[in-house]
Amino acid sequence: MDIKIDSKICKAEYGEYLLQVAGRNNIYIPTLCHSDALPGQASCRICIVEVIENGSSKVVTSCVFPITKEIEVITNSEKINRMRRTLLMLLSMRVSNNEALNRLMVEYSVPAINRFTLDMNEKCILCGLCVKACEEVGQYAISTVSRGITKKVSTPYQEPSISCIGCGACASVCPTGAIDILEEGSKRLIWNKTFELMQCTRCGEYFATKEQLDYINERLGYETEVLLCEKCKKNAVSESLKNIVQNL
Amino acid sequence: MRTGRKKTILVCCGTGCLANNSYHIYMKLKNLTAEAGIDAEVKPIIKSTGCNGFCEKGPIVKIIPDDISYYRVKLQDADEIFEKSVLRDEVIDRLLYKDMSTGNRVKSQKDNEFYRKQMKLALRNIGEVDPANIDDYLERDGYKAFRKVFFEMTPQEVIKEIEKSGLRGRGGAGFPTGLKWKQCASYDSFPKYVVCNGDEGDPGAFMDRSIMEGDPNTVIEGMLICGYAIGANHGFIYIRDEYSLAIKNISVAIDAAKKRGFLGENILGSGIDFDLQIVRGGGAFVCGESTALMSSIEGKVGEPRAKYIRSVEKGLWGQPTILNNVETWANIPLIIIKGGEWFSSIGTKNSTGTKVFSLVGKVKNTGLVEVPMGITLKELIYEIGGGVIGNKKFKAVQSGGPSGGCIPESLLDMQVDFDTLKESGSMMGSGGMIVMDERTCMVEVAKYYVNFLSEESCGKCTPCREGLKRMLEILNDICKGHGQPGDIEMLEEICDTLSETALCGLGKTAPNPVISTIRHFRNEYEAHIFDKKCPAGICKELTKYFIDRDLCTGCGLCKRNCPANAISGNAKSAHTLDLEKCIKCGNCKDTCRFGAVKVE
Amino acid sequence: MHKYPKEQRYTLAILQDIQREYGYISKESMEKLSVYLDIPLSRLYSMATFYKALSLQPKGQNIIKVCDGTACHIRSSVTIIEEIEKLLHIKPGETTMDGLFSIETVNCLGSCAIAPVMVINETYHGKVTPILLREILKGYGGTIDEDR
Repeated sequence: MDIKIDSKICKAEYGEYLLQVAGRNNIYIPTLCHSDALPGQASCRICIVEVIENGSSKVVTSCVFPITKEIEVITNSEKINRMRRTLLMLLSMRVSNNEALNRLMVEYSVPAINRFTLDMNEKCILCGLCVKACEEVGQYAISTVSRGITKKVSTPYQEPSISCIGCGACASVCPTGAIDILEEGSKRLIWNKTFELMQCTRCGEYFATKEQLDYINERLGYETEVLLCEKCKKNAVSESLKNIVQNL
Repeated sequence: MRTGRKKTILVCCGTGCLANNSYHIYMKLKNLTAEAGIDAEVKPIIKSTGCNGFCEKGPIVKIIPDDISYYRVKLQDADEIFEKSVLRDEVIDRLLYKDMSTGNRVKSQKDNEFYRKQMKLALRNIGEVDPANIDDYLERDGYKAFRKVFFEMTPQEVIKEIEKSGLRGRGGAGFPTGLKWKQCASYDSFPKYVVCNGDEGDPGAFMDRSIMEGDPNTVIEGMLICGYAIGANHGFIYIRDEYSLAIKNISVAIDAAKKRGFLGENILGSGIDFDLQIVRGGGAFVCGESTALMSSIEGKVGEPRAKYIRSVEKGLWGQPTILNNVETWANIPLIIIKGGEWFSSIGTKNSTGTKVFSLVGKVKNTGLVEVPMGITLKELIYEIGGGVIGNKKFKAVQSGGPSGGCIPESLLDMQVDFDTLKESGSMMGSGGMIVMDERTCMVEVAKYYVNFLSEESCGKCTPCREGLKRMLEILNDICKGHGQPGDIEMLEEICDTLSETALCGLGKTAPNPVISTIRHFRNEYEAHIFDKKCPAGICKELTKYFIDRDLCTGCGLCKRNCPANAISGNAKSAHTLDLEKCIKCGNCKDTCRFGAVKVE
Repeated sequence: MHKYPKEQRYTLAILQDIQREYGYISKESMEKLSVYLDIPLSRLYSMATFYKALSLQPKGQNIIKVCDGTACHIRSSVTIIEEIEKLLHIKPGETTMDGLFSIETVNCLGSCAIAPVMVINETYHGKVTPILLREILKGYGGTIDEDR
């Protein structure tokens, strides 16, 4: 079916999410808690747009809004921009001086406010991506704790988690870099737990924790004999492809 | 002396009266009856009934068929009541209700100001039946509607009847019930579920508690009728954790209904099953929101989800689900028996039927009031409610709980229904009506609600979590005398964004108490911010009570009336007020006949 | 635990039973439940901290619940809470050092006519004033800090 986004006609499938359709048509909608790998968080509300249906307009979050009829969408009306600005202002009060947020603050001309008490150490915007990532990996080591104003993300009892394999998926998916992952030599420290890192058999770099590799083996169902870091794995694959092509 | 009639004694054992010792009164009367040896002609039946709604004047004892209602009954009155009104036909005047305007004693419940204008539909059985006795319910047309539906109507006919009635959801938003059922019935996906929202979380609202405690069968029957209409075989009643008595009474009713074949397998020999389970809440207001409630039933945290795909299509475990409020369910059997058209003739055009309001706060007659939609606030508060306590000046009435707003004196002639309340900046919500007088600080009320919501919010989405946090910060500052210019505008800006971008109803309606108090009582905000004064004399940091030594005669009246022992002084010499102990209740100022108590 | 089927939807019910039985949910109980239901510990921890009916700390012998519903609030429930803090040195959510009292604020108990309402264990106390409060608390024993 056809829908109109910012006066541009776009093709959409029934049930597709609005954000996807916009992206496909090169229409920019800002996001913070969205990840193509882990869609559907809908917690930051930055991706709001106006949907006009039957003469009336409503504000929806495009990341989880399914297309079910031919609608008209406006991504940058005065109302939407105003609300986005307020949302960003609120987030900037929670997380001060953060690179990812600052970019959006500049883009939407969010004024600096000097009225509230700030926690300079807070970096988490509670988007929920880290929890979802850990879920997808299969470890469920972290979760949201408490509710309302005191909500936060942590391991149970704030103690090192037995389930955590130190893979760092949570840290890599975090939009504000709120999860600390410290590496020194052969050790990695994340969520208060220290891990031993394994060395790549080819280049000698420390690249993954033992627990991570054990888990991968468990999921694969067999032991991988040769341990390779990402870079060397890519090189190995391209080398074997080169061999195959040369032998053809 | 012998009347040859069977007398029945009804003792209210709802939570409110139980808190006032009614259970002991019930047991005493029960024992007296047993000891007296049952007279063949006078057979008093003692029933413990559900909440009568008139909790202010509890414990309540009613005797039928004489139709005598006694209020504020104490344990020591039991003997006299038994002797005079049960064994004989006498009336004890001092226990009767005293009419506020005429001062006359009123014998029958029907004639007293509180009940006179009420029309009990959802509350029709409360106070009249023993909730643990299914036969009481059956005697009053219980399960008659279900039988009619089951054996004489098609599902489509049932839905049509509900649509005709114009019934709108009594839980808050007022969505047309018939339409909801029609939509759910149209989806061809099984299993389907029927859910009762018994998570009554609005502070000041207790109508659902009253129905679940006092007439649990009407809820069961309503849900059975829906199950038939939409094709569901499973139901859940989600009851708030704090309502232990409701959980108990519903549980007993479910067991009894099963034994009689209304629930469980092979209902009434038809081969159709319907099972009903109770799910106990965990102490979370947000679980009153429909998608959060469903999440909670599924065994997860009560976080709402986006409602772009409605629950009637994908609800509990992704299946078509009907979720309705307790009071909505209570109306269903009556609509089937008396017809949708009859129901739609009551109330207003777009808000048909009656509504149960919980009239509480600074009002004389506190309790549950069921009246046709369209009644004016003035009638509700002054005629039924008896006016403001202590005859103080009315200031505002808060309707709809934390999702609603304050309605000032200028709007008292408003005919209450879903739409008029919404237009005035408030909403129906569960039907809570909290009366506030001149001694209520409206900024403090806004702060109270924001504080409540900030703890109850699930915390998932930015606008609600961060918005409420900062609004609370601003309101706390204002009440403490640290308000800044621009604070009102900042509150308005956050509220505007919150109302449109929040993920669920809790966040979207959270601005209402703030916006409505700013709209109608802006002067109070400004007084706090610019003059550092609290006009109502409530905000502690901005209010100081003190005794003018020049005017004080040492009569000691203020001292005697102080609930915090904050005033000291010897007879005939000037008294002093200890600010540390002072709770700013204002009793001293009210009682002083010399104007010696002042507020700064 | 074992009277419930091993399904996720009984999680809250089981946690509440544990809460009622032991007065709180210990780490041990959570770990056992995690194994029984095959639900990750982090999920259970999330639930135990989300629902206010559940607590991770043991409560006092006498649990004081002060209603802070709107009707009680405008009849000065906050004063009662502050008085308790003065007398017992605990804020809502805390327990006294001697383990005798815990205090919490609860949302509307539905007894608005006798506001402000306080419930200690299962006993209701209505129309509570600071003076009445002292009498009530004395009745439960223990030390009360009377700064008179």
